[in-house]
Amino acid sequence: MSSFLQTLIDGVTVGGLYALIALGYTMVYGILKFINFAHSDIFTLGAWMTLTIAGWLGVQAGGGATGPAAWYVGVGVLVLTMVFVGVVGFVIERLAYRPLRQAPKLNVLITAIGVSLFLQNFGQLKFIFGTDPAPTPLLLPGVTLFSVGGVSIQLVDVAVIGTSLVLMLGMEVLIFRTRMGSAMRAVSFSTRNASLMGINVDKVISFTFVIGAMLAAAAGFLYTLKYPGQLKQTADGMWVMLGLKAFVAAVVGGIGNVRGAVLGGLLIGLIEYLSVAYLKSEYRDAYVFAILILVLLFRPEGILGRATVEKV
Amino acid sequence: MSLLSITDLSISFGGLKAVSGFNLELAQGRLQGLIGPNGAGKTTCFNLLTGVYAPTSGTIRLAGRTLNGLRPHQIAAAGLARTFQNIRLFPELTVLDNVRIGCHLRTRSTMAGALLRSPFHVREERAMVERCRGLLEVLNLADRADEQARNLPYGDQRRLEIARALATQPKVLLLDEPAAGMNTQEKKELRGLIRQILRDFGLTILLIEHDMGLVMDICEFITVLDHGVTISAGTPAHVQNDPKVVEAYLGAPAGAEEVA
Amino acid sequence: MSSQPVSVKGSGGAGGAPLRMLWPFALALAVAAFMHFVVGPNFNGTVVQVLLFAGINITLAVSLTMVNGFTGQFSIGHAGFMAVGGYVAGGLVYYLSARFFDSPQIAFHGGILSAGADYRPDPDHPLPLLSRGDLIMIGSCLAGGLVAAGAGYVVGLPTLRLRGDYLAIVTLGFGEIVRVIFQGTGPQVLFTKAQEMRDTPLHQLAWKLGGAQGFNFIPIYATLFWVFLLASITVAAALRLKYSSPGRAMISIREDEVAAQAMGVNVTRYKVRAFVLASFFAGLAGALAALSIGQMNASAYGFIKSFDFIIMIVLGGMGSISGAVLAATVLTILPEALRQFDSYRMIAYALLLIIIMILRPQGLFGIREVWELGPVRRLLARAGRGGSAA
Repeated sequence: MSSFLQTLIDGVTVGGLYALIALGYTMVYGILKFINFAHSDIFTLGAWMTLTIAGWLGVQAGGGATGPAAWYVGVGVLVLTMVFVGVVGFVIERLAYRPLRQAPKLNVLITAIGVSLFLQNFGQLKFIFGTDPAPTPLLLPGVTLFSVGGVSIQLVDVAVIGTSLVLMLGMEVLIFRTRMGSAMRAVSFSTRNASLMGINVDKVISFTFVIGAMLAAAAGFLYTLKYPGQLKQTADGMWVMLGLKAFVAAVVGGIGNVRGAVLGGLLIGLIEYLSVAYLKSEYRDAYVFAILILVLLFRPEGILGRATVEKV
Repeated sequence: MSLLSITDLSISFGGLKAVSGFNLELAQGRLQGLIGPNGAGKTTCFNLLTGVYAPTSGTIRLAGRTLNGLRPHQIAAAGLARTFQNIRLFPELTVLDNVRIGCHLRTRSTMAGALLRSPFHVREERAMVERCRGLLEVLNLADRADEQARNLPYGDQRRLEIARALATQPKVLLLDEPAAGMNTQEKKELRGLIRQILRDFGLTILLIEHDMGLVMDICEFITVLDHGVTISAGTPAHVQNDPKVVEAYLGAPAGAEEVA
Repeated sequence: MSSQPVSVKGSGGAGGAPLRMLWPFALALAVAAFMHFVVGPNFNGTVVQVLLFAGINITLAVSLTMVNGFTGQFSIGHAGFMAVGGYVAGGLVYYLSARFFDSPQIAFHGGILSAGADYRPDPDHPLPLLSRGDLIMIGSCLAGGLVAAGAGYVVGLPTLRLRGDYLAIVTLGFGEIVRVIFQGTGPQVLFTKAQEMRDTPLHQLAWKLGGAQGFNFIPIYATLFWVFLLASITVAAALRLKYSSPGRAMISIREDEVAAQAMGVNVTRYKVRAFVLASFFAGLAGALAALSIGQMNASAYGFIKSFDFIIMIVLGGMGSISGAVLAATVLTILPEALRQFDSYRMIAYALLLIIIMILRPQGLFGIREVWELGPVRRLLARAGRGGSAA
């Protein structure tokens, strides 16, 4: 029973991270109708900037002699990481995607792969992040808050779930309660009509990329909290895999649908951790992709998505 | 006994009834017009006929065979071919290749035959080229056979769409605004051309067109749509004098050039 | 106006037909023999290794062209099909050799065509042109190709009915599933345990593919001969397909799917056919890759490997077979020549991809072949208006 509860907590925590990344995938797909393959690398960048910025702020790996950092340092690292990665997202959209606004979808997809490869390999250069494993800074003390049914709830879990929740609620308010949000929804409905209604489409698209990148950066930050220890900038696709699972979450929830991304994220997180706990654990990635294929077969528009009709 | 018979055809998108209770009988060898103001549901009708959209209700029968539920390529095989209002050629391919793809439907050699260049395949390909050149001849495109389709002038592109549709050997040809974007001279030639293919290919044609001069001139029978509903049907003279039609076009005198 | 396309005329008759059907395959044999007997012996092992990879990459790039270039669908799982072919062929050659030959320690039982670049003829024990080992190898490679094609069918049939980027997503997932499955197989039965190898039924050996440790000690059969035979056949098949009715049907899908359907092209069928054919060739290439490096490790066949082939066909031009051949060759040889800049190689590729997409979205040659470009084309047009060239 207690291991089941522990699995649930882990599933929800990771599901929250998937949801944050999935939001970026789904918003870009909703507006530009292409899979932003580089998004998982934005997430990776978030994790590595967390390490770098924490280093600048003097937080030591594993706590060092000074112990864990004060709470406001953690918040500062989070905010700075989000701002930095947001700027990177803006630049990428401006330089790589904007020139292709009228191009076929395939070209944009290939460009996204190009951006992804660039971020990965640029990050692996010696004078950027390198390929050596890096220890994570201790931003939170390893405190057990309370115990439920034999499972000790860690401060980290509460912080990760709490931050995800705050960001997701923020997105809900942004998209459904603000002027910018209604502009985003209008552009996602029809780029042309939105621009006829006087919406600055380029500005909305830039904004969407920046927001998506910031959420992925937050997910990267939270990932380093949840899984401290040695992080490795690897070429074997560990980071990309995490991002891809988030993408699967977006598709399962209904790509283009913001609430679907959150639902899909939690679902994929739970399914992954439950299947690892109760089925063969080596196949964890295969389970996630098997679910993707099942969804595409029986409900290609996703759980909350709507089927679209192509205009002829 | 009509060749194409459409009964009570309807489709709604969400709450909008784009086409409702559409009926049409088209006898072998006839040339009928389908007109109406913008957004009346004409192209939607074509999309229903060719299987792009599935109708909410109604039946479509071609030479006694029900087409409902067939996929677009099966409908083409049954003998219904179309052109597109917003030209949809294969832009990177040559003019000849565009027409050859229209022939594909009637070919019988297999993938293996193509990979091995079997004698049957080679003969079929040769006959295909001959037939396509013949079609290009008819449509006045013979000297442009090796050009890329996207480099053709507008009028030529429209005629290439007709050539490609004819290559599928249709029983019924659906023309969606073939004169759009053409100049007066080209329009005049198009009239002759439509009459010619109707006669030479033993075709039956359903024509959507905004150019009233052209429609009134070449069509024997006209159906008028407005807001998805048939508001009038009959000879050009009848339709022209129908007050409902005049009203649908906001009082514009029927028969004027370019009612849009 | 003839109403029926087929009219039988005697002219191109029976006499020339077999020649016309088979000459590309004869040419393929000639190219392969030239590479094996003339080029191979004149270079050292490193150069030969690079040439082997070039031939394998040509096969993969050209086969991917059939999917991404012809039908315009986007597959990111080509390395997955390679892995399927490699594991099936590698496993079969390894375990079958153990079954059929008395001394399993000596893994290689090939003839002259399968003898590596370092082989020097031994007058006392002359190698036959083809041996029993070669037959096992050929059968195993074909099996690898067929299993990969079957996997392509299973993945393609449900996915290719859907529009949009779904194939990209599913092939991505497929590649990962393949990797996970092979990493989950049992430990390899080594040559040292000859008795165990003989006692275990074949269908059980089929799942002993080494798991996460990889599958090693695969007999090295892949020589310049086999690799360039496959590459030439793949190129010939792709060219013949492109200049035939089925191939044009595929290309029409990429040009405009709605119009293709309206013209009677069964788009799902042709997407699936292109995908299955491409998977078959990718499986064969994977088989030869396994038989050239002597080992398989699933982790080397993820989507990052698939990106290599995407870069090749984008560079060469989506749909240009000669472009794919050229790009595959250059992108295999160049990195070897510029080894000291290796960490910058992928960065350069990435920037190249982005810049090409922005400045020349159709790739260097577009859909055209080299001989269809500019002056070459004008020359050919003057020479005569033949429809089908290859």
